[in-house]
Amino acid sequence: MLEQYGYVGILLIIAVGFTITIPLLPKLLQLIGLIPHKKNPTKSGQYECGMQTIGKNWVQFNFRYYFFAVLFVLLDMLTIFLYTWAVNIKELGIGGLVAVGVFLVILTIGYLYAWRKGALQWK
Amino acid sequence: MMDQIRYIAPEISLLCFALIVIVLDLFIKPKKVLPVIAVAGSFVALLAVLMLWGVPVTDVFNKMLAVDQFGLFFKALILVSLVLVILASNRYVLKFEKFQGEFYALLMLSAIGLMLLVSAINLITIYVALELSSISLYVLVSFLKDKQSSEAGLKYLILGAVASAILLYGMALIFGTTGNTCLTCIADYVKGMPAASLAGSPVLLIGLVLLISGFGFKIASVPFQMWVPDVYEGAPTPITAYLSVASKAAGFAVIARILLTAFGMPAWLHNDWAMIIAVLAVLTMTVGNIVALVQTNIKRLFGYSSIAQAGYLMVGLAAMGMAAQADSTIRSGLIFFLFSYTLTNLGAFIAIIAISNKINSDNIDDYSGMAKRSPLLATGLTICLVSLTGLPPTAGLIAKIYIFSGAVDQGLLWLVIIAVINSCISAFYYFKVVKVMWMGEPVNNDEVTSTWPEWLALGFCCLAVVVIGIIPGAFMAITQNAAKIFGI
Repeated sequence: MLEQYGYVGILLIIAVGFTITIPLLPKLLQLIGLIPHKKNPTKSGQYECGMQTIGKNWVQFNFRYYFFAVLFVLLDMLTIFLYTWAVNIKELGIGGLVAVGVFLVILTIGYLYAWRKGALQWK
Repeated sequence: MMDQIRYIAPEISLLCFALIVIVLDLFIKPKKVLPVIAVAGSFVALLAVLMLWGVPVTDVFNKMLAVDQFGLFFKALILVSLVLVILASNRYVLKFEKFQGEFYALLMLSAIGLMLLVSAINLITIYVALELSSISLYVLVSFLKDKQSSEAGLKYLILGAVASAILLYGMALIFGTTGNTCLTCIADYVKGMPAASLAGSPVLLIGLVLLISGFGFKIASVPFQMWVPDVYEGAPTPITAYLSVASKAAGFAVIARILLTAFGMPAWLHNDWAMIIAVLAVLTMTVGNIVALVQTNIKRLFGYSSIAQAGYLMVGLAAMGMAAQADSTIRSGLIFFLFSYTLTNLGAFIAIIAISNKINSDNIDDYSGMAKRSPLLATGLTICLVSLTGLPPTAGLIAKIYIFSGAVDQGLLWLVIIAVINSCISAFYYFKVVKVMWMGEPVNNDEVTSTWPEWLALGFCCLAVVVIGIIPGAFMAITQNAAKIFGI
């Protein structure tokens, strides 16, 4: 038990060490003189290539995207469950079929609800 | 696996009816039919619970859920309060206009969560069931969509999430110590522990304290009570009623089950947690009662009153912890008190819902002269307030005698003395409302009307309160039967 935690501890030390070393590495190399130190505007920009950014990064999104995101997550879940069921379809037999049927019915009611409440309309 | 489905028939039938309510709400115009289906679904589920009553104690789904009288009793209690809340909200739902179907469906879904919660015997199922009920309740609390209700909903959501996190952390520590999530497996591990006190096993101690804190939020014990007054005031009144009875009853049921099943055995352990509960009980009832004295809003008053009642209930829980060797009489005190408290508090809230529908206010001053404007509603509210105070001839008196005598039996005399003093303080604010209603001058002479479902619900509660107060024997037998599973 304790040894396993020991491994976690070693990993932790390595992780912390790595994150501290990597940002400091250029400075170190600079001190040694391996890297030339010449500043210019292009080099100190956020992106070294590509277009300059326009505006702020706090952009307002239409909240209707949110509905579609939620509905998409529903479909995602459906895929995950159906896939695992389809792989084991023989072993699960009738019981599995019924369970997936119930799951589908509940999901369909969710979609029915979204449709009748107008969540699918973009107006 | 499949043959065990019948043991969760109550939950499944209630879920089916909740889905029917959702679908019907989408396609039909007259909404009057929705509460009928919701009530019908609750009765079908209640029937399923009653049919399971005689079944021998078993655990199903790989020790995830238990089928026993304790769980079934609370399932029945939750379903009864669900029916009463639906009946009482028959005029209140008109405030929601578009969202009546969701109101009923979410109420039923949260009831399913609570029903699973009281029969869960695995930390994982306990947490999932707790979230199932809580998430529905977060939405229901903010259902009015006005400023106060939204604030209440957000507060409940954030504080509830914090409480869930604390609870999960406690569960994780308990799992870390014992290596199991099923309650009986934890009990087996704990019995074999060499430590002679919780101080010898700090991780388990912290886990237990965090667990009690997490559930302390659910049952509104001090110092986890700060959400109660605001949420109770802002939530739609039927939801306040539901929160104060069903949610609280399930919270007590699950904490009693965890503490007694998993940590009930070695004497040092159950004495330790019983003492934690006893100290919290003192704080809870004292804070609840003293702050209730100065309230002017009836929903806030009942918020603090429900904190105080949680304090009395914790006296029963502490007595249960002390009573490892005792018979089921002492163990059933808590269950009987929850039973009588549920009916009493619901009765009071039904009267409040009916009255506030007319006068559109929750101020106690506006209840002035209510006895002249609606004698029957005032009488019903008075009966329930008398029972909450604990005076004869009502259920409240029997419940208090029952729970306090059990505590005295277990050597908790100091705790009972504090509880009795607190009961006397509580009489002051309960009777303030009674005095305003019967002695005050009416603001105007408009009659306060109510509908037959409200009458039915209020009549049922008041009748039950008085009948339990006069002939408690049969009900005590049921609760003792329910408490038997904790015997050794």
